[in-house]
Amino acid sequence: MRRIGTTLFLFALLQAFSFGAWAQDLKKAVLLPQWVPQAQFAGYMVAVEKGFYREAGLDVNLMRGGPEKPPFNYLETGKATFCTDWLSNAIQKRAAGLRVVNVGQIIQRSALMLVAKKKSGIVRPEDLNGKKVGVWAGQFYLQPASFFRKFGLNVNVIPCYSSMGLLLKSGVDANTAMWYNEYHTLLNSGLDPDELTCFFFADLGLNFPEDGIYCMQETLESDPAMCAAFLNASLKGWLYAFEHKDEAVQIVMKQADAANTGTNKVHQRWMLDRMQDLILPGDNRAEMGKLKQGDYISVGEVLLTQKLIGSLPPFDQFYRGPK
Amino acid sequence: MILRPRSSIAFKMMILVLGGTSVVFGVILLYSYYSSRSFLLEESENNARNLTQYVARRIEQEFRSVAKATESLASFLETAKCDEETLLTLLRRTVLRNKEIYGSAVAFQPYAFDKGTRAFAPYYFRGKEGLKFEQLGSDAYDYFTKDWYHIPVVLKGPVWIEPYFDEGGGDIMMTTFSFPFYERDANGKKGELRGIVTADVSLEWLARLVSSIRIETSGFCFIISETGSFVTHPQPKMIMRESIFSLAEELKDPRVRHLGRAMIRQNSGFVDIGSLPPVGEAFLAYAPISAVRWSVGAIFPKSELLADVTALHQQTVLMALTGMGLLFLVSLLVAKSFSRPLRRIAQATVQVAGGNLDINLSDIRSRDEVGQLAQAFTRMTEGLKERDFIRDTFGRYLTKEVVNRLLESSDGLRLGGEKREISMIMSDLRGFTALTATMHPEQVIAFLNRYLGRMVDVLVDYRGIIDEIIGDGILAFFGAPETLEDHPARAVACALKMQIEMDQINALNEQDGLPRLEMGVAVNTGAVVVGNIGSEKRTKYGAVGSEVNMTGRIQSFTVGGQVLISEPTYNKLADILDISDVLQVQMKGVPGAVKLYDVAGIRGQYDVHLKRQEEKRILLSQKINVAVQRVDEKTVALTEASAWIDEISASSAQVVLAYEINQWQDVKLLLLDDQSRPSAGEIYGKVVSVTQVGSHYVANVRFTSVSPEAYQMIHRLEQAT
Repeated sequence: MRRIGTTLFLFALLQAFSFGAWAQDLKKAVLLPQWVPQAQFAGYMVAVEKGFYREAGLDVNLMRGGPEKPPFNYLETGKATFCTDWLSNAIQKRAAGLRVVNVGQIIQRSALMLVAKKKSGIVRPEDLNGKKVGVWAGQFYLQPASFFRKFGLNVNVIPCYSSMGLLLKSGVDANTAMWYNEYHTLLNSGLDPDELTCFFFADLGLNFPEDGIYCMQETLESDPAMCAAFLNASLKGWLYAFEHKDEAVQIVMKQADAANTGTNKVHQRWMLDRMQDLILPGDNRAEMGKLKQGDYISVGEVLLTQKLIGSLPPFDQFYRGPK
Repeated sequence: MILRPRSSIAFKMMILVLGGTSVVFGVILLYSYYSSRSFLLEESENNARNLTQYVARRIEQEFRSVAKATESLASFLETAKCDEETLLTLLRRTVLRNKEIYGSAVAFQPYAFDKGTRAFAPYYFRGKEGLKFEQLGSDAYDYFTKDWYHIPVVLKGPVWIEPYFDEGGGDIMMTTFSFPFYERDANGKKGELRGIVTADVSLEWLARLVSSIRIETSGFCFIISETGSFVTHPQPKMIMRESIFSLAEELKDPRVRHLGRAMIRQNSGFVDIGSLPPVGEAFLAYAPISAVRWSVGAIFPKSELLADVTALHQQTVLMALTGMGLLFLVSLLVAKSFSRPLRRIAQATVQVAGGNLDINLSDIRSRDEVGQLAQAFTRMTEGLKERDFIRDTFGRYLTKEVVNRLLESSDGLRLGGEKREISMIMSDLRGFTALTATMHPEQVIAFLNRYLGRMVDVLVDYRGIIDEIIGDGILAFFGAPETLEDHPARAVACALKMQIEMDQINALNEQDGLPRLEMGVAVNTGAVVVGNIGSEKRTKYGAVGSEVNMTGRIQSFTVGGQVLISEPTYNKLADILDISDVLQVQMKGVPGAVKLYDVAGIRGQYDVHLKRQEEKRILLSQKINVAVQRVDEKTVALTEASAWIDEISASSAQVVLAYEINQWQDVKLLLLDDQSRPSAGEIYGKVVSVTQVGSHYVANVRFTSVSPEAYQMIHRLEQAT
């Protein structure tokens, strides 16, 4: 007993000492995710909660994202050290002159999809001809637009906003949706999977990697080790979340409830499960966090085609993450 | 098994009765449970369905009136152009007049109200401090992108919007009815869309409405929207966060999802949803609110819905248990009433087997078969007791063999008999009858019992059969029913022994102040008929025949202390007998003289001898005057003759009479005092010989009975000499 007591005491002392030492050396960083708290950002929440950033020498402040906080604005103004956003968006920003760099590509596979009601007679892409299709604006429209063009579809595009109300009210026959979010919302609005036709853009030659970690080029150049440490701690957070999903969902729910997003556990669990599919496709851990040049070029080509960028920034300038 | 061969009747009966009735009760109970359960359940189901439908209709009314108010505002806007002031007044009035409306807006299409204004959407709503006004169009609240605006625009028709949190608008959870209104030309023909009229319904208000509808249950109501999302629920954190489908996914229960789909498809129904914490086992009834395509669900705890069934069955079970309890007691009592007497009888049987016949089964009072058994058993023990009594009683008179023969052989009591040679004894007390006349009755009985007791003992010792005891006389025989080869010797030895016993009796009598008695015994041998004599009702084993009568006659010749035997007897025993005298007597009906032998003893095996006292007669110097009375057939003749005694001994006297007297005459001698008055002394006797001496007759009298006074007198005389 005495020995154990002594050991514990020494251990505690050591911890306090080293913690104190770290606390002094911790580098402050602010992360802004591109949307409200949900399992889409579970890895970062877990990394904060489990102290992975601290272990990496970082004191990370995880901001609450939302539509009112455009991530790259926050990077540019210095309100955030890091942010997450879609690759397509980031390329456009870089092409437009914002010196943002990708320090790690988290979501490898596009989760954007078109969901159609079979009741409307839609089972194949060509069935969409002449149908009302609800689409989100902006970067969410890149893939659908390419898809319609690619398949030569003449669809009645209805701009729509965040909810699935139009599809549910049969105001449209198909609607864009995120696999990890709106698709599940449809399932939990009483629609069965076999009542729905899914068009995954990733399977239609339009795999746009989505969430990546970005910072200003200056941030990276002044402290590349910090950026690498941030990425590694974030990936560690993701792996931990995939291995401890119940715990991760709990952590997510705490944040979601604090933000009053009106979500529920099963929805966040679904989202986390899908994140694993999107971040670790084929469970290929070696490729985790890496942006493939091929993906970069195919997204760039679509952007060039749609004249959203004048020229595609060189890959090596844009991507500064692990090779 | 419970029932073993050794189990008691009571136990077996109880088990069988209880087992049987339990099965019957059980079957009836189960049947009634299931039939009444299904009946009551059906009724409960109907009640639950009706109740749920009532709630749905009640809510529907509110939604319809909201829709109506919105519609009328929209149609007013279509028919009449109005300025901002009128519009606001109308809008305010719409909210104020309809308590179910939380807020109402008229949201115009871009630049539709005013060509210079893109967004124009006046909105009145019930704020915390009364009615509030707001213009909804702003950068922060771009109403064109909101479902409540966007969806009806796309749909080109009215629509109820899925519940939402109207951030930046009403800032509450609500649902909105959106009604598009259009340009109308002069003919009223529909033109361009001008905008959307909305009316909001607060979910909180809705929840209050639902909870105000009283449901007689501890369950609860909830409402789900068109997408299954909880609109009202007792747990606020469910509202707008969870849907019935997310619940199904969390519970991993496809049945819940199935139920949810049935509800949003606007079905109504009643389902068993199993266990639902914290309500427990429950049913769910659901009904559509068709105006909004929502659904009301009501949870009914089974315990409550089945309360009637449960109560009914608690009563039934209670009654059954009480009935079983009573039945248990009754069957216990009935069984005991059988088994207790049976056990008593069994115990009694064991006692009887052990020899104890004092059985009292009088406590078994029933008159049934068991009672009859007890009675029969009692009669049996009484019979056995009687038999034992008979055996014991006979044993005093008869040998065990005779008793056994009589009791145990079925022939023993058969009437009829056989001719057999036997030896008979007849004894009689000399002058006893006459003597009893002067004695106290109790003395007579004591005296007689002492005498008879001794005599019977002696007779039994010699295995004699007592045929009859009449007063002081005994008739007994030897050689029947038990065959005894030496019956003459036994009879004679027994007679001698009886005489010897008399000395002891007399010694006792003397002590008690009772008169001295003399007994005469006769023994005869001859062929007689022996057997059970009498009727079925009264039978005795006895002997009849002339030889029996002969024995009586021989006996009449005896004097006290004498044993006289007949010639046949003598002939059989001549070698071993000591004969003191041989008498030649005349007998009625017997021609010629009959020889009688006065026996003094028998030798051989039995070897009994009378104590032959050498009697010395006292020669009286002074004669004792006596009055002599003849005693015939036990009666004393009135005639007296004066006479005197000149010689006397303890057992005989020489009496001198002035008149003739016959030999063998029984006489009573009354002793007279000096004045010729009779004194207390009196002697009975028998004239054994008479001699005529001149005019007088000298009679030799053997005493048969001597009064104590007379005996004392004789004793004094003996002392004097």
